[in-house]
Parts: sequence; C-alpha cells; structure tokens
Amino acid sequence: MLGIRIASTVAVAGLLAGTALAEEPIKIGIPVGLSGANSVVAPSVVQSAELAAAEINAEGGILGRPVELIVADDGSGAQGAQRAFENLIFQQEVDALISMETSAARNAGLPIVNRGQVPYIYTSFYEGRSCSPWMYVNAWVPEQQVGPIVDHFMEEYGAQTFFLIGSDYAFGRGMLEFTREYVEANGGEVLGEQYLPMDGSDWTAIISMLRSAAPDALITSTAGGSPNVTLTRQLRAAGVDIPYGNLAVDEGTARTMREDAAGMYIAASYLTSIDREENRAFLEAMEEKFGADLKTPNDLSVPQYEAIYLYKLAVEKAGTTDAQPVIDALAEVSFEGPRGTIQMNAQRHTPLTMYLGKVEDDGEVTVISSFEDVDPGDQCPQFAN
Amino acid sequence: MLNLALDIVTTAGILFVVASGLLIILGVMKLINFAHGAFLTIGGYAAVMGTGWGLSPWIAPLLALGFGAVVGLVIERLIVRPLYDRPLDAILATWGLGIVIVQLITLYFGREVQFAASPIRGTISMGPIDYSAYRLVVTGVAVGVGLALAALLYFTRFGLNARAVIMNETLARGLGIDSTRVRALTFGLGAGLACAAGALITPLLSVDPNMGLPWLVNSFMLVLVAGASFPGLAIAALLLGGAQVVVSTFFSPIIGGLTIVVLAAAILRISPKGLSLG
Repeated sequence: MLGIRIASTVAVAGLLAGTALAEEPIKIGIPVGLSGANSVVAPSVVQSAELAAAEINAEGGILGRPVELIVADDGSGAQGAQRAFENLIFQQEVDALISMETSAARNAGLPIVNRGQVPYIYTSFYEGRSCSPWMYVNAWVPEQQVGPIVDHFMEEYGAQTFFLIGSDYAFGRGMLEFTREYVEANGGEVLGEQYLPMDGSDWTAIISMLRSAAPDALITSTAGGSPNVTLTRQLRAAGVDIPYGNLAVDEGTARTMREDAAGMYIAASYLTSIDREENRAFLEAMEEKFGADLKTPNDLSVPQYEAIYLYKLAVEKAGTTDAQPVIDALAEVSFEGPRGTIQMNAQRHTPLTMYLGKVEDDGEVTVISSFEDVDPGDQCPQFAN
Repeated sequence: MLNLALDIVTTAGILFVVASGLLIILGVMKLINFAHGAFLTIGGYAAVMGTGWGLSPWIAPLLALGFGAVVGLVIERLIVRPLYDRPLDAILATWGLGIVIVQLITLYFGREVQFAASPIRGTISMGPIDYSAYRLVVTGVAVGVGLALAALLYFTRFGLNARAVIMNETLARGLGIDSTRVRALTFGLGAGLACAAGALITPLLSVDPNMGLPWLVNSFMLVLVAGASFPGLAIAALLLGGAQVVVSTFFSPIIGGLTIVVLAAAILRISPKGLSLG
C-alpha cells in the first residue's frame, strides 16, 4: 500500500519547440503526499507544477532542454519519503527536487538529499530552522505568519491574554511555541497552551479549560483538515466567540466550513483574492488548463509553481544544471509570481508579503491588510544568503 | 464543577450512542463487527447528503438509521451469514468489509472534509454556566436510545427471542425460535444504530472517510468492558468517559486520549468478564 507510485509527466505543450525535443530533458523530482495526511492538498500542488512545466516548455524549456516532472508519492510520512527520495535521486537521477511535504517527510528526505547532493526547494510553510547546504525554502515560517495575527488582535481588540490550542506534532508545537514567545515579548500573557494527538477529535476538556481561563483571544495550530474542523465546530457549539486566529486553515477549508468559520482570522502569503496582475494571469491559466478538474490554488500550491520558475532562472544564470553552481545562483534570482517578488535570499529562506484575511459569513476570505516583505528572521545563520 | 460534571455526562452519552450498535451485534451474534467504524462513517455521509438535499438536520439520524438498517440486512445476507460456522473468519470479513466501505466512500466523495448542517447552534444557560446545546441534545438522545433498546429487549417478541438466542442459541433453536432471522434483524439493527450515531455526532465533527476509526477503537473497548449488557455499557461509558475527561482536564489531554484504552485493559485484566455480573 505504501509502494511508491511513479507518474512521469512530460508536459506536452512545449514539444512544439523543435530544439527542445532533441535535447535530454531536465528532470525535476516532486516527492509529495498523494496518500496520507497531505492527500487533500497534494493534487493542487501537482497541478500548479504541471502548469509551470507546460509554460516553460512552451517557451522553449530551460537552456533549450524540456522540463520533465517525476511525481512520487511519499505517503505524507518518513518511511514513504525515504523510498521516494532514494528512488528519485539515485534511480531516476533527477536534476532537482521541488516539493511541498510534511515536516516528517522533509526530515526523513534531507539526509538522502545531502548524500545525493541535489538542489532541493521546499515549498511548504513549516515550523522553521531546517537547514541543509542543498535546501532552499520559498514559503513562510512562524516569524512571518504569527506576527500579523497577534499584532492585529492586540491593536484592534486590545487583547492582552491569549489561549493556544494545537495538534501534538512538530508543526503544531513549533508554531505555538513561537506564538507564546511572540505574545510574551509584546507584553501579552498566555493563559494556557493545550494539545490533542493528531487523530484526536474530542476537544471537550480543552474547550472547558479555555472557557474557565476566559482569555481575550484564541490562536490555534492544528493539523490541517479534520482536527481543524472538529475543533472549530466544537468551539462554535460551546459558544466561544472571542477573536480567533487559525494558523493552519486554508482558504478552501474555510469556505466549506461556512458559518462555523465566520469571523476567523488567517494569515497567509497567498490568498486567491490577491490583487496582482501575475495572480490573475496565473488563476486564468490554471482554469484554462484544468477546467472542471481544477483544485483551488492555495498557499501550498502557489509556492510550488513559483519554485519551478526560480529553479529555471537559477539554471539559466548558472548556465548548467550542476548542483553547486545552481545552489549558488538560487539565492540571486528573483521571480515575479502570484504572491509577489520572490527571492530566496534570507539564510536560504524568503522574505514574503503576508496577508491578514478574515473569513466572512459566506465563507469567503477578505484581505484585511497586507505586510510587505516580512523577514523570516534567523533561520539558518550558517548560510550567509 | 458543574461544567466538569456536564463534560463527563455528555461524553458518556456520546460514547453510549456510538457503541450501542456494536454491543447489540456482539451480544446476540457473538460477533465483533469491525465494520462498525465504517457504518459510523456511512451515517456521517448520509447526514451530509440529507442536509445537502435541504432536509432538516433533525431528520438526518433517522434517515441514516433506515439506510443503515437496509445496508446491514443486505450485508448480513451476503457476507456474514455464510460465515456463521466460522466465527474468526466472520470477524475478519467485517474488517475487510470496513476497508471496502471506506474505499468506496473515498472513491465517490473524495478525501476532502465534508460538512453536515447542525440542527442547533450555540449554548443553553445552565444556572451559572452556558453549555453546548448540541452536546446536551446528544445526551438526551443517548438516554432515549438506551430506554428504547431496553423496551425492545424486554417488552417485545423480538426481544424475547433475542434474549433466548443470547442465553443459549442451540436450545432457542430447539424451541422453534428462528435464530437466523433473529441474527439478521440484529445485524440490521446494529448497523442502523451505528449509522444513526454517525449522523448524530457529525455536527460536532468533520465528515471524512476515516471519521469512524477512532470511535471504533473506543467503542470496542467499552463493549468489552460492558460485557454485552446495556446497563453495563452505560456504566462503562460513564466510568471510562468520565476518566478520560478528568485526566484530560487535570493532567493532560494527550494522556486523556489514552485513558479509555488503558483503563479498559486494566479492568479486563482484573475481571475478564468486564463489568457484567452474569
């Protein structure tokens, strides 16, 4: 059941360009959680990667070579990731890895990346401070996401006391530990910090603790999908209506939760309503390519799209797909994507424009405010860029 | 204090409703139905579809009850009945059935989280505190289900036959009781109860293909401790559910999640027949 499914996609659109056909393709490996916890979001990530590859091939590829994507299922976990990374790096001999994955899968894959010495762009937001000479990250870390929500609650609602609820895993704990530090550094107080196992669905006791602590505001960081939904529904059923910031909800889930999500705050580097020319063009191209099968683009799939372009620019700057020159070039190139100008020049991480959104009664997310070029802070001080 | 008491009682109520379908099948058929979790999931999706058609969320559990009973009768005829003489194979078959049901649901609905509308929202004022209205409703339903099942077992012909089959199936058959029919109706009832419970708890949960799994484990433990009796199940739900709430509240919710399993193992170690006296 955990066997690796390999799906090879040669994006056809670009094969018109005569020279691109003759050349050896540039292989990009995409280990991603097609099964397991990430299986809800993974298809959208694969779609945006396919669009990027098709667009690049239509323009003649990279250095005249076509792009070939090799998608491998990592099962959203460590074991599957080891097999997927081994296969992609040593059997398929990919030129680069570009993927959105769980932290467990990334941590399991990194030693293999280090051994294989292949450029790796990680495109998922995560708990931060994961460093490798071969890895770049173009999504957000807690330093970039938590600030906008906490600041807004303190300024807009005068919130001084906070309660934190999460799922018991690396991302949940990492986000909330950072949130606690941030709240306390800004003169606030954390009244409680409680976790439930990832597959837990009964939040009764935690909600009772929250109610008796009576904080000014609530911030949650659960695993995506089911735990997030059960917590939100049970909070609403218990009549909790204090300002509520959710660090782990995506636009699509918020939309399906409708009135249960109403009033919830989210902070993200991508929302579909971002008012940029590049975003409108991207959404239109996705719509045209996938039609009825389109999975709504989101904060995980858009960085994947941009990362493939960043890799293209780096290879062109280096003039080769050799790993070390490409790694050096990755920090220097920048791409105008749907989220803004993306350059991975902050200790292998990326300064990003962050958007604070509020879920309306119909489940749509409106942008309340945006924060330009939020710095990821000290992530990997050993790397100057 | 009142809040804690309400947490305990409502948690026990939810556990009782969820486990009752498993208990009745185990009691009459001596069969652990590992497809129980999948039946809960079917109930959840029945609620999603029912409310999607614009039906009142109050009707969803009844709809799920009827649908589950029909599905249960069909499954009993096709899969469970041929295996009556091979109890271990029958248990394995229900396990496989559970996997098949979950995969069919995944194929049709996808893995995404789905939503069923909630019949009531918000809280009810209970003296000094406000408490989740829907949890109180579920607890009321649990009491109702318990009384209805007791009435069914003690005041109807079917109940009399079922009790006879529970006590001594060979003798019951010798007395002219159609035990095959009793078994079929029991499986249908158990499946219907499981689906209804799945629909009933969806307003507190998300509906996804694996929603039944954690409930299957807890129900299984409760039923083993209860020892095939409904009063036993009520006591087990209060005891184990109460312990879960107390440990979660005063110690840690993470340890709280283990309480039911650990406590059930301890009880069964001391008293292999669980809480039942018979």
